[in-house]
Parts: sequence; C-alpha cells; structure tokens
Amino acid sequence: MAEIAVHRREPTQRMGFFTDTTTCIGCKACEVACKQWNDLPADELRIGQGRSYDYTGALSASTWRHVRFAEDDAGWSFMSDVCKHCTHAGCLDACPTGALVRTEFGTVVVQPDVCNGCGYCVPSCPFGVINRDPYDGRAAKCTLCYDRLEDGLEPACAKACPTDSIQFGPLDDLVERAQGRVAQLHERGREDAYLYGAGDDPGEELAGGLGAFFLLTRPPERYGLPAQAESPIQQNMLTATAVGLTAGFAAAAVTVASVLASHRRRR
Amino acid sequence: MSHAHGPPPEEVIRRRDAEREQPDGRDLTPAVGRRGAPGRWFRRETGARVAGARPAWGDARWSFLYGADTRYAGQGARNGEVAAAARRARGGESVPVPVSGPFLNAPVWTWQVPVYFWFGGVATGSSFVALACDAAGDERAAALARRLTLAAILPGAPLLVMDLGRPLRFLNMLRIFKPRSPMSMGSWCLSAFSAAASGAVAADLLGRPRLARALGASTALLGTYLGSYTGVLLASTAVPLWARSRAFLPPLFMCTAVGGGAAANRLALAAAGVPAGDPTRTALGVVEAVAMTTELALSEINERRLGPLAEALAESRSFRLARWGTLGGLALRLARAHHAASALFLGAGLAFRVAWVLAGRGSAHDDEAVARMARSARGARVRRPRRAGRRRAPTA
Repeated sequence: MAEIAVHRREPTQRMGFFTDTTTCIGCKACEVACKQWNDLPADELRIGQGRSYDYTGALSASTWRHVRFAEDDAGWSFMSDVCKHCTHAGCLDACPTGALVRTEFGTVVVQPDVCNGCGYCVPSCPFGVINRDPYDGRAAKCTLCYDRLEDGLEPACAKACPTDSIQFGPLDDLVERAQGRVAQLHERGREDAYLYGAGDDPGEELAGGLGAFFLLTRPPERYGLPAQAESPIQQNMLTATAVGLTAGFAAAAVTVASVLASHRRRR
Repeated sequence: MSHAHGPPPEEVIRRRDAEREQPDGRDLTPAVGRRGAPGRWFRRETGARVAGARPAWGDARWSFLYGADTRYAGQGARNGEVAAAARRARGGESVPVPVSGPFLNAPVWTWQVPVYFWFGGVATGSSFVALACDAAGDERAAALARRLTLAAILPGAPLLVMDLGRPLRFLNMLRIFKPRSPMSMGSWCLSAFSAAASGAVAADLLGRPRLARALGASTALLGTYLGSYTGVLLASTAVPLWARSRAFLPPLFMCTAVGGGAAANRLALAAAGVPAGDPTRTALGVVEAVAMTTELALSEINERRLGPLAEALAESRSFRLARWGTLGGLALRLARAHHAASALFLGAGLAFRVAWVLAGRGSAHDDEAVARMARSARGARVRRPRRAGRRRAPTA
C-alpha cells in the first residue's frame, strides 16, 4: 500500500517539540491544525461550564493537542499540551500487543492496525495523554505527525502556530535553544521561568527526559502536570511482581501444609 | 461493554449529508473526521514525494520567527542554571498552588475485568488445592479440584475479550512476548494455565493419574503468577491508589484467590457427598478462614498506610460489602455454619475485586492525590542507574 512506504532518512535524529508558554496566546490554531491534518472529529463544545474560557476540555483520543488555560488573579497563561513522547514511555512499556512503537524519529506512535483496545496504556500514562476512543475502541494519541516527518515536513501544529510557541526540530537543538531562552528570561527578570522535561541533571529527569518539553512560568500543577513522573511500570513492576510471586508460593505452601497436616492428624 | 452506544456524532453528520443531493462532478462529503487513526492520505504515486517535501529537513530546522538575530534566546545558559530553575519549580514536598487538572485519564475497564480477576483467583486457589490433595494422597478431591480449576478459568478469556475495544483482535495479545508488560505476561500466563488445566482434566478422564498430577502441579506453578499478576497489573499504573499499594495488592489478591479457591472446593466436596469429618474438607475450611483473615488484616494495614489516598476505596459500596462479607463469613464459621461461610467468602472475594478495580477511576480523577503523589519523595524517583545512550532515539 502506498501510504505505508517508509523512506528512511539516515542518519535519523530524535525529533521533538519545544512549547514555550511565554509566547502562547491561546488561539488554539494548533488544535485545529492537528484535527485537520489527522482527520480527527470535532469535540462537543463545552461553553458555559462556569470555571474556564477553555472550551475544548482536555487531551483525548480525538484531541491530540489541547491548549490548557491557567486563568487566575496572577494573570492568564496558556500552554499547548501534547503527548510528551517520553524516553521512558509508560504507554510503550504497558502495551501488550506491540501496537505502540518507538519510531526512527524517537517518537512514540500507536499503530492503529494492531491496537486491540485493551486499555492498559490509559492508566499507564503519568501525564494523562493517551486514551481509548469510546466509539472506535482503539487507543489514540499524537504521532508527532509521523506521516509528515517522513517527508521532512514539520508537524501540523508547529506549522500552524502563529507565534512559534510550538517549535519543532531535532531534540538536541531544541534543548540548547530552550536553555538559551530560559537564560534570556532570567536575565530580563522572569526568574520563575523553567523547562519542564529537558535540561535536568541526570536522575532528576521526567520519565527519562521528554521528547516534547515545555517552558513554564508557574508550578507544573497549575497546568495539570505532575512535578515528578516516571513510567509506572519501570517504577513498580519488579517490586510488585517479586512480592506477588512470594505471596503465591507462600499461599501454595500454606494450602499444601494445611491439607497434609489434617490428613496426618487423621491417621 | 466498553463501547459508547450509537454511532459517533461525526458519523451522524456524514450520514445526514449523504442523503442530500450532490452536484455533478463534485464531492461534497463533509470532512468531519475519523476516529482512532491518523488520517490516511494516499500518495498519487507509490514512493513519490509530496508537494513541499524537504529532503534535508529544511522545514524542520528552526523557527522562522526567532532567528539568531532576535532577542528570543540568549547565547546559552550559565552552568546548571536551567536545571536549578527546574529544581525550584518541581522540587519540594508540598504542592504550591491549587491544582487544576485533569492530570490522568481514568482507567476504561468495566465490570468484566474484576469478574475475570475473581474467576482467575478461584482457579488459582483450586490449582493449589489440587496440588495439596495430590501431596496428601486424596485422589478423589484432587481430581475434583482440577475440574474446578478448569471450570473457573474457562470464563476468563471470554471476559477479557469482551472488555477489549476491538474484541476481534484478541489474538494480538499473543503477537509478542513482552516481560516488561504485566498485561502481556498475564495473557501468556492465562493461556498456559488454561492449557495445563485442560490437559490435567483430560489426563484424569483418560485414566492417566501420573500425567494428571504432573499437569496439575504445573498448573499450580503457573497459578503463583496468575493469582498475583492481577495485582501487579494494577500496581504498575499511574493511578495513585493502585501504585501506592504496590506491595499490598498482589498479596491481597492472592489471599482472596486462595480463600475463594478453598471455599469453592469445600462446597464442591460437600456437594459430592464427602462427609463432614473428612480431613481434606476440614483443612480447606481452615485454609479459607486463614486466607480471608490475612486478607482482612493486610487490607486494614494498607488502608491506614494510604490515609486520604484510600478514600476512593473506602467510599465504594462493594468495598464495604467485601469487608462485612468477610467478617460475616468468619462469624458464621465460628457459629459452625460452614457452608454459608464459604459462600460468603466467595462473594466477598468478588466484591473486593470489583471495589479495587472500579475505585481506580475515582483515584485517577482525584487531582489533589495525583499531584501530591508526584511531589512526595517516594513518588517518582527511580533508584536505578541510568544506562548511557538511552536518551537518543535508537538508530536503525
């Protein structure tokens, strides 16, 4: 089939997004561009919910970019949220079918022809990104426009962003540039500017480092982001399995011992 | 079922428009989108470049607004400045602002999953009983336990298939073997367990007792994982209630598994006409009571440990039902109403699993709890050496 012909670009690089919230104006052009390019259905409008001017809610299986609104007395800020394409991706660790893969661009992509909708990736994402579509039954999320990358085009959201709040490029370039941006903001007196998901010291990274990282000026919780994150499987699986198998052998031993003891008493 | 009912909204629009008259030579099908998959645009020629394709990443190199001559970014950060800024914002134990979620997507699993967990538990417990009866030389009870093991595991696979978003693709579960994913390992374990349990019953029917014993023993060996992986599966997620119970969930599920298995076998033995004083029957009564008491104690310790995190669980009606069911079962046992006690233990095991699985939704939506778990020192640090070179994309 024509559309799956892969033209591998050598050498490949890890590509990513740098989303700078200090230049975001909350226009939601990225959401529209994403939906148009990826042929995703519109969400129901959520006007008049009383708490927010944000009318598209949250990331979902059919919304792969979502501009979060942080509206309060400290001023408004916007953050265009997206799949983080983590180095230690919880969804990728969880997927039992191999539908989720790491691409040659270092991104994490669901293969819609393989996913059987088991739903395990949904609670395994520490950022609440991937979800199962209630109508379609498969999990879906941002692909970092895998089909555009194959042709050397930047993803639709980055292309559409009128203020270049969403910037796309090789991850190493992006991180270097973003660090310069933080330094510039600090120099100008914005001491609260920091990078979420890049430039951390080893051992302090978020999920091993994010492929799509952010420049924020408020605490992460203001944007619905966890202060620390790691692939839940890498965090918990070995401990839980060891405890579980120990419990299993203990339970079998207790059962056998009880029955044996009962029979011995009888004799 | 896990599906939303009726056609999706965009399909309604598409159908409505299809009924309209289309002008000649023009396709006015509304572009309202398709779910689940990125758009599939066909190339005019196989392998051809699309319009605007940039062979050397010309499009992707850098922002067109913020060139090097703008004041957008400085020449680079001072040593450690950026990491320190992130540490200021992300470090610390307390959440500095009112949280504004959503943080997590709630698990999408419905009733089929906890019911499967329960059946799997009863099968695990029964496989242990079969092993124990073989060890004690009670061949009749062992054969009965092997049949119960098979009967309990048979509904497992259909229940799991029902819960899939795409049930027809259930075989994709066995497409790869992935030790990292408890869901993958569980699928393989369930398949192997079902095969071994079927083989053991077949050997019994064919009159091959040694083979039946060997297959029964391997079923029990697989059971040590089948009965506990369900707890591992829940604990290896970002849901605070589950993740924070990682050391308790697998043993808890194992306790209800053994309790349920022993109770089911005790009832089956009684129904098969084994008299009350039979040593196997007596022993199973002890096992079920010990297992359920352990479960109750572990559950209580875990709830105290979790503190406010356990709210989603404590509020659940099935959790209260499970606790009172277990307590009632223990009381009935003291009152020598053994059959009623066994039945209550079985029911409590089911309620317990339903409570744990469904409470995950409430816990995932508890934004405060998610934010607090991430901030706490034990929340998200992985204490293991980083392997060099992992940050880069794997080159083909």
